[in-house]
Amino acid sequence: MIQLSEVSKIFDDGFVALSDLTLKIDKGEFAFVVGPSGAGKSTLIKLLFREQLVTTGEIIVNGRNLSLLQPQEIPYFRRSLGIVFQDFRLLPDKNCYENVAFAMRVIEASRRDIQRRVKHVLDLVGLLPKAKIYPGQLSGGEQQRVAIARAIVNNPAVLIADEPTGNLDPDTSWEAMKIFDRINQTGTTILMVTHDKPIVDQMMKRVIALENGRITRDDSKGAYGYED
Amino acid sequence: MKIRTAEYFITESLHSIRRNGLMSVAALMTVALSLLILGMFTVVVMNLNHMAAVLESQIQVTVYLQDSLKDVEAREIGTRITKLPGVTRVTFVGKEEAMVRFKDRLGSQQGLLAELGEANPLPNSFEVKVDRPERVKAVALAISQLKGIEAARYGQEVVEQLFSLTRMVRIFGVVLIIFLGLAALFIIVNTIRLTVFARRREIGIMKYVGATDWFIRWPFIIEGILLGSLGAFISAVLLSQLYSMVTRQVYESLAFLPLLPQYPFLGYVNIFVLVAGIGIGVLGSLISVKKFLKV
Repeated sequence: MIQLSEVSKIFDDGFVALSDLTLKIDKGEFAFVVGPSGAGKSTLIKLLFREQLVTTGEIIVNGRNLSLLQPQEIPYFRRSLGIVFQDFRLLPDKNCYENVAFAMRVIEASRRDIQRRVKHVLDLVGLLPKAKIYPGQLSGGEQQRVAIARAIVNNPAVLIADEPTGNLDPDTSWEAMKIFDRINQTGTTILMVTHDKPIVDQMMKRVIALENGRITRDDSKGAYGYED
Repeated sequence: MKIRTAEYFITESLHSIRRNGLMSVAALMTVALSLLILGMFTVVVMNLNHMAAVLESQIQVTVYLQDSLKDVEAREIGTRITKLPGVTRVTFVGKEEAMVRFKDRLGSQQGLLAELGEANPLPNSFEVKVDRPERVKAVALAISQLKGIEAARYGQEVVEQLFSLTRMVRIFGVVLIIFLGLAALFIIVNTIRLTVFARRREIGIMKYVGATDWFIRWPFIIEGILLGSLGAFISAVLLSQLYSMVTRQVYESLAFLPLLPQYPFLGYVNIFVLVAGIGIGVLGSLISVKKFLKV
């Protein structure tokens, strides 16, 4: 599903963000990526989204070699991924329903599909009753659940989450994690970058630790392993 | 493109024109003004070309005969001129006839001729018409080589001056049009950039969920087209009003000036202005959205 072989990313100024990463995440897996700031986690996400290209090595996501992707193919490739950000990135002038529907509208889904899918995913994150509410009137946890709904509305094979609980308190973080777990159980692969030690420790999922652009640890049922 | 998608694009672009308010109005006015000047120069240049062409087609050679010539000799010269290639008509103008015409032209200042008394200094002449304007020069040259000819003149100088004036106006106009076009482009780029900037988060999300670049561009392009074509429309209306005003004035006081009639000529100019406006709008929006698509 996600396969990195000997991936390095060196920026123009010579900074080595990732070096010689080899990694395989299978379909349906749930993996955490942990590590201190500057370890290369964000760069990894950018590479997986084909926002940036590897310097050397090869990344294959959903069967597509990202180095060989033509620029005009990138949008279609991205439709097989979902992304959740730490800061939610909802559009403040659109209500919950519209925020989620937006992700389907921009890929020109049919009106009927949009109605059906948006209702379904809002129900999945428990926010169907608040469909008409604007993000400004929602709590952080609720906003993040809308963002999760938006990330999965197009049925991505892989869901990537960049510190999804970073702005949430522990209780709401757990609510969000339960939703991620449920999504994972429907067969969606999840790759989650996080600093949230309690969550990593309790979820007992695969943990990939990055430090200075290298994988230092890859445990199948690991713990956070840092004291920060 | 699906109809619903097109609908979405148009709603989005109208929305952002409204949101930009004053800036949209400023862009509209700049485009309208630039295109108005573009249209005005086009109209002037085309009219000058038209005038030159009309004058050229009216050119004739005036042949002045030596005073010592007898009538028979004059008639023979007339026959010879008629036989020259390209000559279509030869009219004899006697010196009395020439004096009558001259007095007519002087109008209220005829008194100046009183000094002359009964003497008529004007020579006999022929007016020679030629089939094609570019033959005038050759015909005039051939005539001047005949015996008994004082001079053979034609109005080529006037036409050449008109042509060089047209050329100058055209060069000046092109330079001015380029500058105004750039100014209009610049302000459209800035107006749409405001929209793009206000919606950069939205664009970022669109890129992440897999919207194609063209899907993202279209609302901005439509915004550019709307600003450009609306500006063009305003300038077309102004141009039409202005031109009909000018032509009316010219017909009243300078009727001999051969202006191009408003229809269909101005229609073509307006279409040209509209195309230019839309072009500027599209180009402006493409430039302003470019930077934000790199996600």
